Amino acid sequence: MMPRHLVLTLEAPLMAFGGVTVDNYGTIRDFPAASMLTGLIANALGLRREDRQAHQRLQDRLVFAARHERPAGRVADFQTAKLEASDRGWTTRGAPEGRAGGAGTYLGPHLRYRDYHADAALTVVLRLEPADEAPTLDDLADALLRPARPLFIGRKPCLPSRPLIAPDPAASFIETQTVGEALETIPRHNKDALRALWPAGEGGTTRTDRALDLADERNWSSGLHGGTRRVCEGTIQPAKDDG
Amino acid sequence: MTTPRFLQIHTLHAYSAALLNRDDTGLAKRLPYGGKMRTRVSSQCLKRHWRWAEGAHDLHAIPGAEKAVRSRDIVSRSVIAPLREAFDGEVLDAIEGEFQKAVYGEKATSSRQPLLLGYPEVAYLRKQAEAIAREYPSDAKAAGEAAAAFAKEARANFKQIREQTALPGGLTAALFGRMVTSDPEANIDAAIHVAHAFTVHEEETESDYFSVVDDLRGEDEDAGAAHIGDAELTSGLFYGYVVVDVPGLVSNLTGAEASAWETAERDMAAQVVEHLVHLIATVSPGAKLGSTAPYAYAQAMLVEAGDRQPRSLAGAYRKACRPLVADALERMRDHLAALDGAYGNGEARCAMSLEPVELPETQIVALPELASWAGNAVLNGKAA
Repeated sequence: MMPRHLVLTLEAPLMAFGGVTVDNYGTIRDFPAASMLTGLIANALGLRREDRQAHQRLQDRLVFAARHERPAGRVADFQTAKLEASDRGWTTRGAPEGRAGGAGTYLGPHLRYRDYHADAALTVVLRLEPADEAPTLDDLADALLRPARPLFIGRKPCLPSRPLIAPDPAASFIETQTVGEALETIPRHNKDALRALWPAGEGGTTRTDRALDLADERNWSSGLHGGTRRVCEGTIQPAKDDG
Repeated sequence: MTTPRFLQIHTLHAYSAALLNRDDTGLAKRLPYGGKMRTRVSSQCLKRHWRWAEGAHDLHAIPGAEKAVRSRDIVSRSVIAPLREAFDGEVLDAIEGEFQKAVYGEKATSSRQPLLLGYPEVAYLRKQAEAIAREYPSDAKAAGEAAAAFAKEARANFKQIREQTALPGGLTAALFGRMVTSDPEANIDAAIHVAHAFTVHEEETESDYFSVVDDLRGEDEDAGAAHIGDAELTSGLFYGYVVVDVPGLVSNLTGAEASAWETAERDMAAQVVEHLVHLIATVSPGAKLGSTAPYAYAQAMLVEAGDRQPRSLAGAYRKACRPLVADALERMRDHLAALDGAYGNGEARCAMSLEPVELPETQIVALPELASWAGNAVLNGKAA
């Protein structure tokens, strides 16, 4: 039997596929991370941040590929925040947590730079393995239609400008051997060559432009990213008879 | 009739010759969208102005909030009561007394502080109380001593809980979140989601050259200006978008689980939403107040209530439109109609507008009615 996949559209004036943050620079990568999609789905399902095992299981089961529908712009947002050495917060560990750093650290406001994708639109195809474990792909589709909380794409202000799931339920699912094949099959809106990412071994007929070991998985119990997985990037060419 | 788990607030605001929000180069923040560059106002900027606004609808002036919070017996009702079925009553009574003192301080009985304990605080306290009750299932005296010992050991933590949840500060954290520590279980997630606002049209910008003249300088002295400089000024009709996560807001304000929002007390959440609608419509995110007077009320505001995935109407303006309110409203109408056509209409809608407007299945009212419509949706748990 052919595996069944769920088709999502991510579109918003601003989105952030976060990469590795270096100091106060929040960088972005070209494609969403496995951890970001896990968080997005978990948010729709109503998981809480402390439900670490449930997050981990979702990420472990997740197989996905993504395709850019058009070239995206970039915006670097500059932010300031006034932090105080005396800022403290209570913790469930029984003792409050404070901020480190000498007096000089707090003389001026904290300056932050956060990159965003501007005007991007992506198609994401995903499945969960094994398929019969809860939550199932159907549970996911239901949760995305009526999520437990408002969805955002990467960062809180990145609110989607369209429903992630297609209005026609038949268009929300696709059966193909791999996620890469699914991306090649889903109708496109233009005749451009479209940039895509898929896990190694999950491609279709599209040539791999580069393969890389990507650290986009989070260890949900430690809260840190670690390990790598092999992914391929390529360019999906329009079929000869397209348009 | 819909279940208003989400309120979506769409606005159109017009500002002329202003510099609302700039980046580190001093220029207006921007957004390339649909092939045209737009002027942008960041969500941080918007939230900050709503949070600090002072006036009839400021978030610190929710009538009766202090009294309501003060009288709320959250330790008995939310922390201890759920344990009553499983544990001995006297053991729980002993723990309850010590926990009251730990949370509210020594004055727990005479003059309780107004603390806005949210779900993280309630969940933490319940877990600790349960652990003590489990350890001393039949010895009330020992349980009370253990609770007192725990309160003493975590004294600094409890002091911090009081500082963070005391009104009025606790109220803005319930809306805009609190992420002070590395501990996800102790942080509060924002219940208000705010998108960056952007102009519905291509940027309209001007470099304003100015000179500063020293009025005190005599005629016989050097005639030039004391200072010359320039600043960017922009004009724009901005589309803004805010989503209120109603179960999240109720949870942050009452300590109930978000999933139980329909049975939780919602008076304060309703008032907060009503104030928020007024603030979003009337508070300017402006800088350069003295030199540009960037004060404007919303030209139009649409509120949708429903439980489907919230989506902005940004797509209506992806193709840049003329910088006219009438054109922007027309785009909004057509975009809503297209969404309804494709997805069906699952939201109840209410709007106000300075210009005549017809939006699909939308009642048009004045701002105070629009604000109470939104507040009532929260209070009644349904909207139509």
